[in-house]
Amino acid sequence: MTEKSNRARPILGYSDRETVKLDFDDVPFKVVKYWAFRAMKRFRLKGFLIMRTSENCYHVIFDREVSWSENMRIVAWVALLSRFEKLKTWFLMQCIKESSTLRVSPKKEKPSPRIVCRHGEQDKGIRSFMAYRRKIKEIARTR
Amino acid sequence: MVKKISVYGTYEAKVPVRQRYWKRRIDGIKQRYWKKTSRMKKVTKSGRYEFHGKGKDLRKAVMKAHRIVPKRFVDVRADKFLKNPEKYGQEGSWIDREIESG
Repeated sequence: MTEKSNRARPILGYSDRETVKLDFDDVPFKVVKYWAFRAMKRFRLKGFLIMRTSENCYHVIFDREVSWSENMRIVAWVALLSRFEKLKTWFLMQCIKESSTLRVSPKKEKPSPRIVCRHGEQDKGIRSFMAYRRKIKEIARTR
Repeated sequence: MVKKISVYGTYEAKVPVRQRYWKRRIDGIKQRYWKKTSRMKKVTKSGRYEFHGKGKDLRKAVMKAHRIVPKRFVDVRADKFLKNPEKYGQEGSWIDREIESG
């Protein structure tokens, strides 16, 4: 029993091509919020959700669902203008995979991401993300 | 509109040791070939499953993915994976190590 609980577990995440997602590492909350607002206004993304993954690390999910090319266009725009190197690396990795992923389960000492801010509409991309998040968390609890 | 559950991380698995050998072709050129030996070695790799499908299958597939680690980047329907997990992965164990991810 003890051996089983000590065994490392894989990380669980949510992937899709339609929801616009951003992964900010080593960026303060105020700056994350600023870029979320700026991207939402410029690309008419209707609403966003910010989740805190660890100290100064945040995930942003937008509500309006877009095509894959538009999704990557938006992420590239934010990565280029904000000049965050880690966001650029994350963007390149998503391009290689051809779908964008955000972590849902805990990872090593980091807990699972917590919601810290909501703004605008939440009934399309964010709604389906939240439904899958619930499903994944349920699986993570039972495994 | 495919929503997926990603299962990823670093794992340890035992793979067969490959041995090279040369064979002279009909046209005289020495060609290098590889063969799998019966010896096994432990390797540390990172891999990823991307599961899509129905809820029950997804849950079962994620559970199974704890024991069966992916051979490479695997994007598969959960029910297909459950029918034949050895096709997409191998026996191994996940380990706690930092990898570049979201």
